[in-house]
Amino acid sequence: MPALLEIRDLVKIYSRDTRALDGISLDIRRGEFVVLIGLSGSGKSTLLRCINRLVEPTSGQVIFEGNDVTHARGLHLRRIRRRIGMIFQQFNLVKRSSVFANVLAGRLGYRSPWRTIASRPSREDVALAFENLERVSILEKAYVRADALSGGQQQRVGIARALMQQPQLMLADEPVASLDPATSHSVLRYLEEINKTDGITVICSLHFLSLARRYGTRVIALKAGRVAFDGKPAEIDERRFKEIYGEDAVEVEIGVARTAEEQRADEARKLLDPRALSDAATDAAVVERLGPGADR
Amino acid sequence: MAEYFVARGLPVPPELRRTPLTDWRRWSAIGVTLAVLYVGVRLLDIDLSRANPQYAGTRIISLLQWDLSILTPQNEFETFWDTAGGLMIVTIFLGVVATAISIVFALPLAFLGARNIMTGNPVASAIYGVARVLFTVMRSIDVLIVVIIFSVIFGLGSAAGVFGLAFHNIGVLGKLYSEAIEGIDPGPPEAITATGATRFQVVWAAVLPQIVNPFISFSIYRLDANVRLAPVLGFVGGGGIGQYLFQTINLFQYNKAGLIIFMIVITVAAMDFASAQIRRRLL
Repeated sequence: MPALLEIRDLVKIYSRDTRALDGISLDIRRGEFVVLIGLSGSGKSTLLRCINRLVEPTSGQVIFEGNDVTHARGLHLRRIRRRIGMIFQQFNLVKRSSVFANVLAGRLGYRSPWRTIASRPSREDVALAFENLERVSILEKAYVRADALSGGQQQRVGIARALMQQPQLMLADEPVASLDPATSHSVLRYLEEINKTDGITVICSLHFLSLARRYGTRVIALKAGRVAFDGKPAEIDERRFKEIYGEDAVEVEIGVARTAEEQRADEARKLLDPRALSDAATDAAVVERLGPGADR
Repeated sequence: MAEYFVARGLPVPPELRRTPLTDWRRWSAIGVTLAVLYVGVRLLDIDLSRANPQYAGTRIISLLQWDLSILTPQNEFETFWDTAGGLMIVTIFLGVVATAISIVFALPLAFLGARNIMTGNPVASAIYGVARVLFTVMRSIDVLIVVIIFSVIFGLGSAAGVFGLAFHNIGVLGKLYSEAIEGIDPGPPEAITATGATRFQVVWAAVLPQIVNPFISFSIYRLDANVRLAPVLGFVGGGGIGQYLFQTINLFQYNKAGLIIFMIVITVAAMDFASAQIRRRLL
């Protein structure tokens, strides 16, 4: 079976001296949950953005479902982009617009510019928006302005917006870097769910190795714009870790420190379905099910 | 105090070496300012010998003794629109129409003059440069000069006033709008681009919602400024109540001029208050 995404000798040079990507070659197969790790500045964001051409690569090739992304233009490029969803560290929602409007915006690639301004969203688009809002358990917030939501909720809106594209591939650029540990697990579990249920391939950059081990089926480490490791999460031992992050690095666990009071509160919620709860409760309940050591 | 630094072999910070009274830079700044003012006063040759306090006193009193006849039509040929009240209303609308015209032109031009929209290819960058130069040129010519030039084209009257004011205002609003566009959060446009939307759809869905408030705020601010400017335009042939005021002053009809000035003050103050209220509520 051919790979979903092929990357060949990808190079990105920002200015004369900064080679953000220095000859990356990768094959990503359908259904993988790939976690990108590496220090800040190792090229994770640039690699993700070269895949859908938010950043223009200097040389090399990206081939998605047999289409040459690097040389696509105009309509062809937009058709490719709409099959690749993306979520961001800062969520990138239109803050003044409602959650519903933000989610519908994920469908713009399927609508003509004229219909964008002249008509109401189609019945199918609304149905799809409803379905996706429900999927990330945020339907009751549909009418609220996006900036009134918490970080975890905003990221879930981001996921719903990306799902509107009915993508084959989901790019996630440090989706949990501005969230607390409990909320991080909640957001990553939604990504895991769309990966397993819908078979959407995920490429997700993360800072915490513990999260990479818990959610990734494959880990790719970048170091100074080159692939420093590519393999199973379990294969990253002490030596490999120091190769990726440097001699002085110490692994930090994204632990879930909880007070006795919070634990008692969790006990009470234990039997409830997490999906039926409000955001804060959902996050806490997800952590409860995972348990403090579940991500090892 | 300096010994802390000296003991460690560090240079002594200038804050410890100088006192405000012995700082030569301070004294030289004061000296230069005084010298410039002295030269200025000598060049201007300000002459107070022609001042006539008694004459001025009687005129100021007649400015306050309002001739209310200008508020009503004086003969069968005049209508309400020839009275001071009518002309004041016309003048307000002169400012309103000029603002409307300038918004219509400045709005699309502002997108062409915003760096973050006009990226990607050399043509876009060139259009950006042209739009920016256009704004600067339109803005740098003072309204009064523009109206004088336009009165040569359109003749004396409201046409010169409206178009002159609008012309200048396209430059001002274009600059304000395009800077608002450049100040938006780049995240949402990036996300919408990633969904496969066209450039137009990106602007529609991710840029417009971010700039609605600043645009309304700037537009009201310019409406306020234009209504304030409108009465002055009559002095250089721009029509409206300014032309009438200019006439009465030239004919030494200070009783009429005083009332017109009072009406302008009230209008401007009301406009100022209203626009401040609306903008405060918006932000």
